[in-house]
Amino acid sequence: MVTKDEMMKIAILSKLFVAEEDMDKLTKDMSEIISFADTINNASDEGTDFDNINNLSNVLREDCVVPSLDREQILANAKDSDDGCFLVKNIMK
Amino acid sequence: MSESKIARLHAMLQNKEISCTELTQAYLDAIEKDNAALNAYVTATPETALNTAKAVDEKIAKGESLHLLEGIPMTLKDNISTNGIRTTCCSKILEDYVPIYDASVWKILKSRNAVLLGKTNMDEFAMGSSCETSYFGGAKNPHSISHVAGGSSGGVASAVGGNLAVYGLGSDTGGSIRQPASFCGIVGLKPTYGAVSRFGLIAYASSFDQIGPITATVEDTAIVFDAVSEYDTMDSTSQGRKGEPVCNTLKNDIKGMKIGIAKEYFDGVREDVKQAVEQAIRVYQSLGAEIVYFDLPALKYALPVYYILACAEASSNLGRYDGIRYGYKADSYSDVNDMIKKTRSNGFGEEVKRRILLGTYVLSSGYYDAYYKKAQNLRGTIVKAFKNAFESCDVILAPTVPMTAFENGHAVSDPVETYLTDICTVPVNICGLPAVSVPCGCDAKGLPIGMQLIGNNFSESKILNAAWQYENAANLFKPTDFGVKL
Repeated sequence: MVTKDEMMKIAILSKLFVAEEDMDKLTKDMSEIISFADTINNASDEGTDFDNINNLSNVLREDCVVPSLDREQILANAKDSDDGCFLVKNIMK
Repeated sequence: MSESKIARLHAMLQNKEISCTELTQAYLDAIEKDNAALNAYVTATPETALNTAKAVDEKIAKGESLHLLEGIPMTLKDNISTNGIRTTCCSKILEDYVPIYDASVWKILKSRNAVLLGKTNMDEFAMGSSCETSYFGGAKNPHSISHVAGGSSGGVASAVGGNLAVYGLGSDTGGSIRQPASFCGIVGLKPTYGAVSRFGLIAYASSFDQIGPITATVEDTAIVFDAVSEYDTMDSTSQGRKGEPVCNTLKNDIKGMKIGIAKEYFDGVREDVKQAVEQAIRVYQSLGAEIVYFDLPALKYALPVYYILACAEASSNLGRYDGIRYGYKADSYSDVNDMIKKTRSNGFGEEVKRRILLGTYVLSSGYYDAYYKKAQNLRGTIVKAFKNAFESCDVILAPTVPMTAFENGHAVSDPVETYLTDICTVPVNICGLPAVSVPCGCDAKGLPIGMQLIGNNFSESKILNAAWQYENAANLFKPTDFGVKL
């Protein structure tokens, strides 16, 4: 069972606003999803440790210099930029 | 004999029965006419398509020979990055995003003069099973437009099934290639994790995501898979195809091939779908395959394991959308934190927010061990169960989806009920295995039924061989009324 308070906390961690009028439905949906997820607790604990899908291991190669992306092009997708940088509001006074 | 649409069009181009410009124009005209009904494309790229077609025609005029995929009109799901062409993931948050580099798969196909007709519709960030979470509205099923094309690669399936593209590339995280291919009566391959580069695929759940082809026939799938399954230094999980091209062994005899059936795959499956798959088992017996029955009890945990892990990965992957570097940005806000929250809250749709919240929940302190860690351990158990299964059989045969296409609007009402429809497709993604969906009949309403052939890691040649033999023997492809008739 997921509570409204927990939902508020999770929304903050997710950097999302949840409107007051949507809270009841969302809490109900999440409770249903979580109780569905709870079925895994019936499984025995002798689970095999899982590292990655194909048991991949690191492959090392020589580092080499290749052309990078163009700054102007990168900034073209930003809504606000200035002097070759992404622009955001002050985070410190 | 089952024939390849790509090979047929290739021969027509090479023999000058049709020019590449004429072929391309026919598809562009069909999109103009039929996309209003199917909503398969969210961005059409006629200029790119006709420029490529012109280059191909020049090669033909000079008497040069063409690669099989050269000049063939195709499409890409709108989460595969295309340099200079809008790539939205069908989300408001990326509505005006224009990538500045190509996904590796598109780089490969572009170098072969593939004719890109446009980018196709999908569930927002590939999260959904009906294509209806798309910011642009869902793609419709070419067999009945009152039904969904499926999801999340619904647009590619609708376009290929509706003859608005010869083939397309989609992505499959929990069934997003196979399920819409099944709903639209065509073929879809989810390759082995690592067989096809994912560089430039906008991430949903990185340990599950895989790019693969959606085509009209099994041979077309083999042709496209052979072309795109290259090792790529830009994707750290890339391994490329192992062994010779799958086209070389596609039509081999399957006498003595061991086809495994796990009864758990048939639990809760609708009766007509079950019967269609059982009929396919008889076809395989008549082709000399040996049917092996076994149990796969670990399957019952596959769905919750998938949703816990995929959403956990999504909550982390989608953390990058903050309005600062690309995409939608909230208009008014008090500070940076407020800006990020407003951007994400207005920019993401309901299902995406639900999955981010679920993922954050299972990763949060106090719940991490009970959900994330437990699911990760069970993932290991499921991987082991499949590994054991492949000791007694070559391929596993199962339904692709427990039912046929939903009516429009049906899937969005109850999240858990909709998640349950992914029961047959998610196990493959959990284990990184390859699987191909092929049509195996129709229901009473004429909607296609699909079945999937699942193989061990890097055994695409085996599952496609088995799929081709079935397609050739059963011949169940059902044409639709839309698009180019060629």
